[in-house]
Amino acid sequence: MAEIALRDVQKFFGPNQVIKDMNLVIEDGEFIVMLGQSGCGKTTTLRAIAGLETVTEGTITIDGEEVQDRRAADRDIAFVFQSFSLYPHMTVYENIAFPLRAVGMSTEERDREVREVAEVLRITPLLDRRPSALSGGDMQRVAIGRALVRRPKALLMDEPIGALDAKLREEMRAEIKRLHMARNSTSVYVTHDQIEAMSLADRIVIMHDGVLQQIGAPDEVYLRPANLFVAQFVGSPVMNVEPVQLSANGDGAHVHLAGDGTGFHFDEGLLSAVPRDAGRVSLGIRPEAVHLSHEESAGALGGVTTNIEPLGSHDIVDVRIGEARLRARTPAGFVAAEGAPVWVSLDTGEAHFFDNETGLALREAH
Amino acid sequence: MSAVRTPREVLLNRVAVVAVFVALFIMLAPIYWIASTSFKPRNLATTVPPTILFEPTVAPYVKTFVKRSQLRGPVEEEVYEAAPWWEQLVLDGGEKVVRSPSGEVKPSGYGQRFMNSLIVAVVSTIFAVSMGTLTAYGFSRFKVAGKDDWLFFILSTRMLPPVVVAIPMFLMYRVVGLNDTHLGLIILYTAFNLSFSVWIMKGFIDEIPREYEEAALVDGYTRMQAFFKIVLPEAMTGIAATAVFCFITAWNEYAFALIMTNRNAQTAPPFIPSQIGSGLPDWTVIAASTVLFLIPVAIFTFLLRNHLLRGMSFGAIRK
Repeated sequence: MAEIALRDVQKFFGPNQVIKDMNLVIEDGEFIVMLGQSGCGKTTTLRAIAGLETVTEGTITIDGEEVQDRRAADRDIAFVFQSFSLYPHMTVYENIAFPLRAVGMSTEERDREVREVAEVLRITPLLDRRPSALSGGDMQRVAIGRALVRRPKALLMDEPIGALDAKLREEMRAEIKRLHMARNSTSVYVTHDQIEAMSLADRIVIMHDGVLQQIGAPDEVYLRPANLFVAQFVGSPVMNVEPVQLSANGDGAHVHLAGDGTGFHFDEGLLSAVPRDAGRVSLGIRPEAVHLSHEESAGALGGVTTNIEPLGSHDIVDVRIGEARLRARTPAGFVAAEGAPVWVSLDTGEAHFFDNETGLALREAH
Repeated sequence: MSAVRTPREVLLNRVAVVAVFVALFIMLAPIYWIASTSFKPRNLATTVPPTILFEPTVAPYVKTFVKRSQLRGPVEEEVYEAAPWWEQLVLDGGEKVVRSPSGEVKPSGYGQRFMNSLIVAVVSTIFAVSMGTLTAYGFSRFKVAGKDDWLFFILSTRMLPPVVVAIPMFLMYRVVGLNDTHLGLIILYTAFNLSFSVWIMKGFIDEIPREYEEAALVDGYTRMQAFFKIVLPEAMTGIAATAVFCFITAWNEYAFALIMTNRNAQTAPPFIPSQIGSGLPDWTVIAASTVLFLIPVAIFTFLLRNHLLRGMSFGAIRK
């Protein structure tokens, strides 16, 4: 088990910079999920840690030792590929034993290790099969087995369950979690699926265009996104982001959406880091924090529903207020039809403000 | 699984079956012809119309392997009686077996030519396929400066008929002393086959996902080990196909063998027609040596048939 650190890592593919100033410390035994859209550099980062990709600049250390110039074979790290990449000409047993052959382990010891890891992954009955005779889930179990059998310093996984169908993904997610709990291995997991990220990670690393956007525990990136990208990337349905104007109002301010004269009232305490200049800020608020009501109440603004997405347990309702549009999460069937008038209030404590230019969250440092 | 078929499709299917049989007949007829001729008595070999029914004899095969000369007159009775059965077959044909002063039967030279063919074809195939596979792997996996130009250059060596360079090659070989040597032919055939081998193997290796090697690399293997333990087994299908083609090309090559060799390293193809010695051509001997010459290729292809048929569709990669 090991601590992995990346310092000032840069990676160019020709003229394209795919990793920019990456600094990241992965603690011993931590489960890190790298989350981002395809092409954001997360897989390249993972491959750089594994030694499958060189870095243009910067250092990568594993347990304090610089490894960026070492071959993959000498880093003692295991990698699980999205494509599983089991060797087709070997049986499951031989596949799992393959990494152990590299270190020249005795036959009995090797056999014991293979059978132990097969037991943990519940693939013992499959040991004599060929990979082509396995289901997708079993293939990935074997791939994980092959990665774990050597007891590597860290386990790297590149969208390991991305190729499976939804039901199996859920099952494998739980299994990966269970394995991590049992073995407590330092793990780095790459995915574009935020549900996987939320459910597996100790900390999530969010990347965009080769730049690390935020590192934090799942609830932290959800509740306190560092910038607009994270705010809109994490969470489903997507956070509402609307440009706003602020005007003083008693012990706080009114936050006006476009084309809305009245504005929502925010207490001063919530606005201490928000500049009042016109056109500088946007309001971000998750649909869960947008409340709809059929009756008028103090501070609520009138709006008209424009679209209803029924999702079974709840509905996502689009509401037009002035020229702005907010999505609200309501109990199923709360709004009967499009075009209905509703009263909108905000859970102002859940609101975020972002600088329009930098995209950074405007929040008091603490 | 049987999909629904319209009457039209059923008819087309029957037409296709007939076409396959016609093609099969066309391809097998020459083989039947040469094989049947090789078992015919000499006087039936060239009859018009061809003799279909005859009493088969192995005399042509005996004659293929022993040195013979024309008899001047009829054989003496006791000599004939004393001769073994195979020598009697030769005597029946109006020829006698040439013996050394110590009484040993002199071989015809076919056996030696056949061995030469085997040595040259096998060694040049091993060279062409192994060098081609390594080259293809390099082109497939690494950044090579001017990769496309190099590949085109390799391909361009096949753009002129090899015979065009026969005379310069002959002159160069004479200077360096490679004329009529096994090594000389092996170098030539390796050179002919190498471009083919590189291109075919590159196609096969491109199909092998890089993740296999990357998995081996992170699992503690060097690139060399990954190549031998992972890439090579995965590329067996391609290697088998390439080897069959290279072997057939080297085995059948005639023009260079004729020009570059005459005795020591001569292969079977130029030797077989040269058996048309004194008197009329003995087609049965030519047929017999040709039939024997066909066998190694048939065996080689048969041994590799599983690899040739398996194709690349057995991988465990999910795309």
